[in-house]
Parts: sequence; C-alpha cells; structure tokens
Amino acid sequence: MTIVVSRRRTAWVRKNLFGGVWSSLVTIGLGLTIGYVAFQLIRFLATSDFTILRRNLALFMVGSFPRPELWRVGTAVLILALAAGVAGGLINSSARRRAHQADLPVPAPPGPRSLVNGFRRFWPLAFLIAVCLLLTETVTPTILVLGAIGLLVASSWMVARLPYSRWSWSLVVAAPVVAYLVLSASGLGWDQWGGFMLNIFLTVAGILFAFPIGLSLALGRRSSLPIVRTFSVAYIELFRGVPLITLLLLGVFALRLFLPSQLNPSSVTRILVAITIFEAAYIAEVIRGGLQSLPPGQVEAASSLGLSPWQTTRLIVLPQALRATIPAMVGQFISLFKDTTLVAAVGLSDMLNTSSIATSQPDFNARGLARITLPFVALAFWAGSYTMSREARRLERRLGIGER
Amino acid sequence: MKLRLIAALAAVFLLAACTQAADTTTTVGTPTTADGGVTTTADTGGSTVPAGETTTTGATGDGLLAEVQARGSVRCGINEAVPGFGFLEADGTRSGFDIDFCRAVAAAIFGDPEAVEFVPLTAQQRFTALQAGEIDVLIRNTTYTASRDGGEGATFLSTTFYDGQGMMVRADSGFTVLEDLANTAICVLSGTTTELNLATRFVDIPYEPLTFEENDVLQEAFVAGQCDGWTSDKSQLAGVRSAFPEGPDALVILEETFSKEPLGPAVRDGDSQWAQIVDWVVNVTIIAEELGIESGNVDTFADTENLEIRRLLGLEIESDEGVAVFNAGLGLDPGWPADVITAVGNYGEIFNRNVGPDSPLGLERELNALWTEGGLIYAPPFR
Amino acid sequence: MATGTPFSPLMTPARPPFWRNVKVLRAVIQIIALLGVGVVVYVLFFNVTNNLRARGIRTDFEFLDQPFGVRIAGSDLSPGAPVRAALINGVKNTLALTVVGLPLLTILGVLVGVGRLSANWLVSKVSTVYVEILRNLPPLLLIVFAFQAVILRLPPARSPVTPFGWFVISNLETHVPGFRAGEGYATFISIVGLALAVGALVWWWRTRVQQEAGAPHHRWAWSLGLVAVVATIAYLVIGRPLTITLPVLTGRVVDGGFRGLGAFFAVMGALVLYTSSHVAEIVRGSIQAVPKGQTEAASALALSGFQRLRFVVLPQALRTALPPVINQYLNYVKNTSLAIVVGFAEVTLIAFQAIGNGQPAPQVIITLMAAYLVFSLVISLIINVLNRRLRMVTR
Repeated sequence: MTIVVSRRRTAWVRKNLFGGVWSSLVTIGLGLTIGYVAFQLIRFLATSDFTILRRNLALFMVGSFPRPELWRVGTAVLILALAAGVAGGLINSSARRRAHQADLPVPAPPGPRSLVNGFRRFWPLAFLIAVCLLLTETVTPTILVLGAIGLLVASSWMVARLPYSRWSWSLVVAAPVVAYLVLSASGLGWDQWGGFMLNIFLTVAGILFAFPIGLSLALGRRSSLPIVRTFSVAYIELFRGVPLITLLLLGVFALRLFLPSQLNPSSVTRILVAITIFEAAYIAEVIRGGLQSLPPGQVEAASSLGLSPWQTTRLIVLPQALRATIPAMVGQFISLFKDTTLVAAVGLSDMLNTSSIATSQPDFNARGLARITLPFVALAFWAGSYTMSREARRLERRLGIGER
Repeated sequence: MKLRLIAALAAVFLLAACTQAADTTTTVGTPTTADGGVTTTADTGGSTVPAGETTTTGATGDGLLAEVQARGSVRCGINEAVPGFGFLEADGTRSGFDIDFCRAVAAAIFGDPEAVEFVPLTAQQRFTALQAGEIDVLIRNTTYTASRDGGEGATFLSTTFYDGQGMMVRADSGFTVLEDLANTAICVLSGTTTELNLATRFVDIPYEPLTFEENDVLQEAFVAGQCDGWTSDKSQLAGVRSAFPEGPDALVILEETFSKEPLGPAVRDGDSQWAQIVDWVVNVTIIAEELGIESGNVDTFADTENLEIRRLLGLEIESDEGVAVFNAGLGLDPGWPADVITAVGNYGEIFNRNVGPDSPLGLERELNALWTEGGLIYAPPFR
Repeated sequence: MATGTPFSPLMTPARPPFWRNVKVLRAVIQIIALLGVGVVVYVLFFNVTNNLRARGIRTDFEFLDQPFGVRIAGSDLSPGAPVRAALINGVKNTLALTVVGLPLLTILGVLVGVGRLSANWLVSKVSTVYVEILRNLPPLLLIVFAFQAVILRLPPARSPVTPFGWFVISNLETHVPGFRAGEGYATFISIVGLALAVGALVWWWRTRVQQEAGAPHHRWAWSLGLVAVVATIAYLVIGRPLTITLPVLTGRVVDGGFRGLGAFFAVMGALVLYTSSHVAEIVRGSIQAVPKGQTEAASALALSGFQRLRFVVLPQALRTALPPVINQYLNYVKNTSLAIVVGFAEVTLIAFQAIGNGQPAPQVIITLMAAYLVFSLVISLIINVLNRRLRMVTR
C-alpha cells in the first residue's frame, strides 16, 4: 500500500514542526505529552460514571429554586432568546440601512448560512448546552433549548427583513426586565435563586448597579475639584487594593451595622451590595482608561464651540470614551463572572457550593467524585468566559480600537 | 443612546430591588392581634380557658412572636451541607433533623410546616446572623456552651441531640488512643467548637491541624490520607462511616469522646416568650413519643381518657367547672401540639426519618433514646 | 461719535453674576460635595455606633491580644498565642506564596507569550490552548482542582516516598534538603550582604566602563564572582556557619531540611498557572506592538531568532508590558486569599478562624483589609520605581 503524501504537506511539516534541532526536539516532546494527556482524558471520559451529574443537574443550574416553579426559568430563557434574536436582527438591518445610504454593497440578510456561522461562532456555549442536554433525564430541557434556538433564529430573520426602527431597541431592553419579573413574581425574590443562575444574576446585576457609581467615580477622579478628586481616588485605591473575599466578609458581617435597624436585607442582597461596591472601583478604572484615550483636541473643540462642561461631557466625551472602553468592560464582566464563585465561601449556594453539596450526598460521598463535578463546573464557567472574550475581541476588531 | 437605555434598565432594577427590600423590612412594634383581647399570662402554670372563648395570640404586640406572625413565616438559620441534619437535596427541597424542627416551629405558630424561610449559614456567620435579627431561630447542629450562652447573645433551648466529639481514623492505621496520633495531621472544620476542643485536648501532643472551610474538601483530604485523623461530632463521623464506599469496617471511630456536644436550637437573648415557644415545640415532640402519639394517629385520640393526651392535643376536658381546653399560656392557640405532631411526627419519627438506623446515616438512638429506655431524652410535663 | 480709539486691551470685562461665575460655582460645588460626603459618613457612623452599642459589641482593637485558641498548620504557635501573632504568621505565609510565585509566573508567562508567536506550529497552538483555557477559568476552581486532583494523588502522609534519600514527599508536605544555621551565622549573613552591596557597585562600575570605553562589561561574572569569592572565604574562615541537612524520616517525624505544605504547592501552582496565562497574553500583545521594522532590521543584521528576541524585541516589549503585568501581580496577591478553601493558613484563613472563634468581626475584617492594602501599596511602589527608571532610560 502506498501512502501518498503531497509535497506541500511535507514541506509544511518540515518548516513548521521540524524547522531546526530545538524545534524538532520540542515538537517531539510536546507531541508525546499531548498524546499522553489525550489518552488519559479519553480514558477518563469513557470510564467515569456521570450519575452524580445526571441526578443533580437541576441543583447545579438553579440551586434551591422551587421545582414546581421551574417553568418561570424556562419562560425567562425563551424571552431572552427572543430578545437576542431581535437584537441580532436589528444590528443586521441597521448595518444594511447604513450601507444602503452610503451606496456601499449591502450585506445579506441572515439566511441558512448564518445559522451555521452562529454555531461556529458560539461553539463553546453550544458545547456546554449539548453536554447539559446529554445529562438531563427528561426531554423537556431539550424541547426548551430547541424552542429557544428556533425563537432566536426566527425573530432574527424576521426583524432583519423589516425596516429598521430605533424604537425596536426598547423591546430588547425591556426583555430582561420582563424576564426578571416573570422569575420573581409571587414572592420568589432573588433569595431563592441558586446554582449557575445565581452566578449569572450576580454578574449581570453587579455590573449594572456598579456602572453608574463607577462612571461618577471616573469623572470625579478627573475633576479639578480637589475634594471630589481625593474622595474618588481614595475610594478607587481602597477597593482595588483588597481582595473580593474581604468585601464579601464585610457585607455578611458588617453591612447590617451601617444600616438603620429596620432594614433587614437578605444574604443575596448583602452580597450584591458588596460586589457592587467592589466592581464600581474597577469599572471606574476602565472608564478612566477610555477617558484618557480621548484626544484632548475634542474637549478643546467643544469648548471653542461654546459647550458647557456638562454638555461637553455628555455629548462629546462620554460617547467616544465609553465606546473605547467596551472591550475592557467585557473583560471586567468576565472577571466578575469568574469571581462570583467566591460567594460559596460566605454561604450562598452558587454553582460551586451546590457541587460540593452534591458530593456530600450519602450516595456519592467520599468517592472522589469531585473529579467529575469540578470539571463540569469548570466547563460551565469556561464556556461563558471564553465566549464573552471572543465576542470582545470581535468587537474590538470591528470598532477599530487600537491596542492599549 | 445606549447609555440612556442602560440607565433606564438600571433604574428598573433598582425599583425592583427596593420592592425586594420592602418585603423584608421587619416591622417592629406593630400590634398584630385581630381581636385585641385578653392577654393570657405566660408564667406560672397555665389556665384552662372555657371552651368557646377565643384566646388571643401574641397579644403583647411587642415581641418576636408578633413579628413572626405578621411576617407569615419563620426565619430559620440552617446548615445545607450536612446530610441527615441540614441538607439540600437534589430536588431542591431541604431535609434533615434540624430542618424538621424548623418545620415544627412553623407548624406550631401557623399550622403550616411550610411557612418557613430557610437561611443557610456558615459556621462563622451563624451567631452574627442570630444577634442581628436576620433569623428568628438557629437550628444548625450548634453546640450549647457557656460562652455562647453568655457572650454570643444566644439563648439555648432543650437539647435535641446529645452528641460527643470523636476522632475517626483508618482501621489499618493501628491507632487506638488519641496519643497515637502524635506527629500526624488531623483534619477539622473551621469556626466550630471542634477546633477549640482539639486544641485543648492535644495541647501536649504534637500534631498538624488542617482546617478546612467545607466538608467535602476535608473528606477528600482524609480519604487520600493527607490527614490521619478526622475529628468531628461522632454522629457526623458515624454517618460518613456507614456510607463509606470501602465499607464501614475500613474506618474506626476511636472510643474516647473529647467533649460533650449537646446540640439544640438557639434564639436571641431577650425575648423569653419566643424562647419558651421554641423550647416547648421541642418538648412536645418528646412528650408525644412518650405518649405514643405519631403523625399518623393524632386523630385517633379524640375519645381517649388519658388526660395528658387531651391536654397535649388541646381536646376538651370535662371538669367540675364545665368543659375546658388546656392553654399553657405560651401565646399560641391550644391544640398547637397536634399541628406539630401531624406535620413532623414525634421525636422518634423525626430521628428515624433523618438519622435513624434505616436512614443513610444509620445511627442508633443510644444517648438519644427516651429516658424510659435508658437515654437522655426527657421532657417536662405539659400541664 | 467716533473717537477713533481702538479697543483698549486694558478694559476689564464686566464680572459675570455669581450664579454663572465659574469660581463661585466651583467653590459652591466643592462645599456641597464636602457636605454630602460628610452627611453620608455621619449617618453611617451614627448607625454603626448605635448598632454596636445595641448589640454590645466592642469597638476597640483589643481582640489582637486575645488568645487565638487553636493551633495553625505549619507553625509552632500554641493555642494561647495572641491573635496578633497568628495574623503575622498568616502574613508570612502570604509573603511566602508571593515571593515564590511572582518570579515563577513571570518566567512562565513570558515563555508562553513568546511561544504563542513561535514559528513552530505545535508550540504556538499549545500555547494558545494553554492561555485560552486557563485565562477563562475561575482561580478558585483551579485551586480546588490542583488540590484534589494533583496534591491529594501523592502518596498518603503515613507512607511518604523518599527519592534518592534526599527528599520526603507525601500529599501532606514535601521536605527538601536545606541548611541549618550554626555558630557565626549572623556574621556570615552580614558579610554576604555586604558582598552583595559591593557587587552591586561593581555592576554599576563595569556598566560605566562599558559605556565609556566600549569594552565588554562581563558584569555578571564580575559581581557574582566577587560575591562568591567573599562568601567562600567567609564560610571557610568562620568555620561551618551553615550545615546542610537532609530530611531524615523516623516514624512519623522528619528531621532536617526545609518543608513545604501540600496545600501551599496547590495554591501556588494553580495561581501561577492562572496568572501566567494573563501575563502571556499581555506579553504577546506587547511583542506584537513592537514595530515590525525592528524585527526586520534585526534580521538584516544577521541576528538569530533568539538573539533578536533577547536584544531587540523583548526589551522594548517588556517595557510596554510592565504596567498591566504589575496589575497581574496585584491580582496574584489578592487571589492568594482563595487559599481558604484548601486550608492553607494565609492571613484570610486566620481571619476566618478568628471570627469563627468569637473575635469581633468588623475589626478583624478591617485588619485584614489593611494587611492587603499594605501588600498592594508596597508592590505598586516597588514596581512603579522600576517603571520610572525604565522609562527614563528610553528617549
């Protein structure tokens, strides 16, 4: 049997893998290591018993959320999928309108090709969802996921073909609010949330609440008023210099002392306050970077046009500066997302905590099953973070922001 | 423009958050009685109130009982990671010995065992949470000690579980007494009396303490042999041992008991009415077991001649003055023990369901048997 | 009437009314800000003192003198030692993590960062996978995983392995050969310190010689050679100020050598891997930011790939990389607080234990925050000094 290897391929291998003595040695060494690791991984996946994940999947995902109310989570997912689809369609239709107005070639509306592209672009998330669906015991989650994807695709295709309207964005903004209301109706506050849902919620709510505070601090830091500047600098340096765990401890043990005795916030609320205070300092630094990247000529031009400082900030500085901060802001979002695992140390039942509860169950105790639950938790966080960092890089390239 | 949208979103979230906080504000000092009637005194003995007259509940209007009734649920501080005592099950419900007593308190006050708000707490947080009023009662396998009673602002009530601190080692290690563990590492959970007792008992023995925050990492370390001994309450050790994958005989719990660990509910200092209510909830489950009342047969005692049972279940008692119902004057409607027993059962049922010989923990009653069977479980009479 | 006089530049403009006068507004806003902050601080302070008084919690820092109550892994402190000593022990452990970890992660980060741009396809792919996996995982998860999947897989503490008779390795601790201080150790150390200082002067002198005369400086050889010679002479003259000890296992006790706890290696390994992936990204970005003309000129001068990196690209790249890398160092120090989950007794775990054993929580937490602030400030200061020095060197 003759093995035909094309000339180009051998040339490529020769150049890229065995380019020199050192290079060849490194290739061989790395190749052997990778082979060994891959073998162990496959052996692990083939011989492990995933019952612990199968039985506790709901615990990992939603913690102690009352199971009869899980339909709320499903509805919220569908609403968010719809919003995502509408947003995608709006982005596409606004790009097409702009190209049309500028007499440039118009990009195509989403079609079957874009579905494939979407899977390629979001493959980590798709992988995570596929793994979860393999572990479910009923068929409902699969139907839900298929429904969400269908809704997303259908809404994106429809909206992309409709004329563009700025007010449609309000639908996209209203959707998370509606989803939240659905989730928390009939007395189910965010105290009942647990598992992965809690991690996601803490991240989103943390960034959302911290943003206005961070913005004021960043502007205050650049202010010429010494008191405002000193206070901003002190706040930022203080809360950037301490680890998040100390602030969580402060939230759990000392927050109540700062409030009048009538207020009795729940654990989740207190942790959320601590996270907000922490994130505000980091967001302030990110925004400060964006403000610094703005050419000073912009401010000079604005003042020569007779704009007041407030108008300058609002109309000239902030839109440009905030646009420049988007990649770094996404980076901060990812960082907070990973840091929410820390709330397990102060007693909240987030995904890491529920995984340790799962390994404490009498059926699964002391069998070293952490080597199955921890990779699962790691996969969930990795999929989320990796997707967000890829999207941030895409945005950075598209917005043409130089490296910082 | 996006900024405006983000600001709007944040504003709505804030609004939602404020309504959250409003739901959880405690209303202190508002009177709650619907019919503002006679207050029944809560000290010496009780009184038999003629049937047909209503007694008011919590009518002093100023204590924790009134607050809880206004809120509609009891806030119970619990553990959610110890199987058998306080555990979060795969289906999201909570189960355990302490959980059942939380439900008992709710059943006593509201007649509904689900009128509980479970607040999971770590070992470090529990007393701060109790002092701060974030929880109404702490039922979290907490040991009754003098300094906690005195310094931590807590009042401990009837012991629900008599335990002791022990040390577990591998059977093949050959250790038989604590002194054998010199120059080894010992795993212990941080923030508990276990840690302090270990330090006191081993003051002359060199050892390496490995303090963990969570039980599952600790167990992995013990199983892997990083520490040669694991010290904890004997009930927890026995529970792990009986479910051990290599078989219970691979582990040995050393005979010596370091210290007494009486576990029981705790409430905040300063409200004796509330303390007495929780105390008597516990006592009532014990009395029910003594009298043979179970959750399934509460209704069968309607015609019993036994006065003790009639008093307990709030059934009418005929006497010379007429027909009356016993009211201990704790501030609850008479017949509340019947609600408790129907909801969670008597002490024996609670024990067997969660930690008994047929449960995954497989513990025998031993010290926790009724006093009539050689144990320490004894309740004052309900009269 | 036409006066014919031009507009006089000495004419003062009318003063704007006070509600539009910038100076007045600035002063007013500052006063309002001050009042606002003052009111907020006052309300908070009022609430805090009220609540503390109502709960009967102390407000002083007496807890520092209270007995800690328990023993700490890896230290000789007795349970009766004050909390202050336990906290200092914790700080020492955090320092140990930092001092060992920062150099390791820098080296690893630079290696992987350079590797991502390597001509060898396998190396660049492996580096990319390394960075993209580790950067996107929570450090807490990595620490727990390193502990459970790596450290705990070592031989159990009751039956350690002793390779070559030089090491004692178990999942509890690792003993390596070390030295023990004998007589004259203090003198020896001071002489070595002096030699190091003189060596630094020699370094500076040889650099001057090279800058002025152009001769090769050989400054490493000169300075280290001086230190080595002085140290050897001092060692021989003083006569055994140090004795090398090998760890000897008798029963369960190991005598001699240096010891590291298993949990220490787990935390350090996990955090080094995690932080190095961030540093690798930063280094890659800064290498790519070096103008392409530099690499082309270097190739034109017939410098090999390694020489090009070492003499042309890396010095420029590392200068731009330094500020974000400082940030990563600070993140490393802050992430050491995650060691609580594996029971390594750094300062955060000590604080947790103190709170759990009844010390007043707010004061303990404030002390903890102060410790980390000091760490952060010291590291920032050191590196900012370095940064300024490097920046002054470039034109």
